[in-house]
Amino acid sequence: MGDPDEELLSRVASGDPAAVRALVARKLPRLLSLAGRMLGDAGEAEDVAQEAFVRIWKQAPRWKPGAARFDTWLHRVALNLCYDRLRRRREVAYAEPPEVVDEGPGPDRGLFASDTGRRVAQALMALPDRQREAVVLCHYQDLGNIEAAAAMGLSVEAVESLLGRGRRALRAALIDLKEGRNDP
Amino acid sequence: MTPERFETLSEAYGGDVARWPAVEREAAAILMTADPIWAQTVLARAGDLDAALASYHAPGGTPGLADRIVATAPRPRARWVGWLAPAGMGVGLATACAAGVLLGAQLQAAAPATNASDADALMTAVSEDVGLYLDDDA
Repeated sequence: MGDPDEELLSRVASGDPAAVRALVARKLPRLLSLAGRMLGDAGEAEDVAQEAFVRIWKQAPRWKPGAARFDTWLHRVALNLCYDRLRRRREVAYAEPPEVVDEGPGPDRGLFASDTGRRVAQALMALPDRQREAVVLCHYQDLGNIEAAAAMGLSVEAVESLLGRGRRALRAALIDLKEGRNDP
Repeated sequence: MTPERFETLSEAYGGDVARWPAVEREAAAILMTADPIWAQTVLARAGDLDAALASYHAPGGTPGLADRIVATAPRPRARWVGWLAPAGMGVGLATACAAGVLLGAQLQAAAPATNASDADALMTAVSEDVGLYLDDDA
C-alpha cells in the first residue's frame, strides 16, 4: 500500500501553500494527541508539534518515497522530542526536588472530558515511558503493531509485551472505576 | 490459535478484534465461533479498559496554533525566480557583449582619426620635403 501522505508531501516540497495548510490540518491533531499524552502537558505538546513541523519543512524536499511511511517517521521525530523533554524534567527534578507532590498534570485539567479522563491521564503518566509510548501509539494513534514497532525501533513482539504490561498496569490503577460502574 | 494466545492479544490490543494484528484475526474469528460466550467475556473485559482510555481526550491546541505553524513553512519560490537566474545570466552576457561592441566601436572610431592624423602629418612632412625640393628646383 502506498504512503497516503506522499503526494501531499511532494506538493509541500514544491512550495504549494495549500498543501502546507492541508498537511498542518492533517498532522497537527495527531502530533498534539501524541505529545499531549506522552507529556501530560498541553503547552509542551504544542511546543513539540511546532518543533516537529520545523523538521517536516526541512525534510520534505529530501523525502525519499518508499523508504518509510511519512507518518511513522513523524511519530519517531515527535517521540524523540518528547523524550528530550522527559529527560530534561528528570534532570530538573533531580536538581530541584519539588516541595509539594503534584496531584496531576495541571495544565491539562480543563481538557479532560470527565474525572475518568483525568484518572486515566494520571495512570498513563505513571506508566514507564516505553509502556506509555506503546499504549499511546497503538490505542490513541491507531498505529498497527508493525508501524508502532517501526516508530519505537523495537520488534513487534517487544511492542506487544509492552502493550500487555502497560494495559495490565492501567487496569490495576483504574480498577475502582470498573467497580464503581458495577455498583447499583 | 490457543485460548491463551487469544487472551494475550486481548490484553495487548484491546477488546476490538479489528484492531488486532491482521495476521491473527482469522484464527481469532475461528476461536470466537467455536466458543462465543468465553470469547465475548474475554473481549468485554478488555473493552472496559478501552472505554476508560477513550475518556481521555487529547488537547486541541490553542487558537491560532495552526496559523503560526503554517507561517513557519518556507515561503514558496516565486515563479519569476525560476527563470530570473538564467535570465540574469543572459542580461549579463548581453551587457558584456554590448559593452564590447561599444568599446570596439569607440576604438574603431578613434582609429581612423589617429590614422588621419598620422597621414596628415606624413603628407605635411612629405609636402614640406617636396616643397623644399620644389624650392630648390625653383
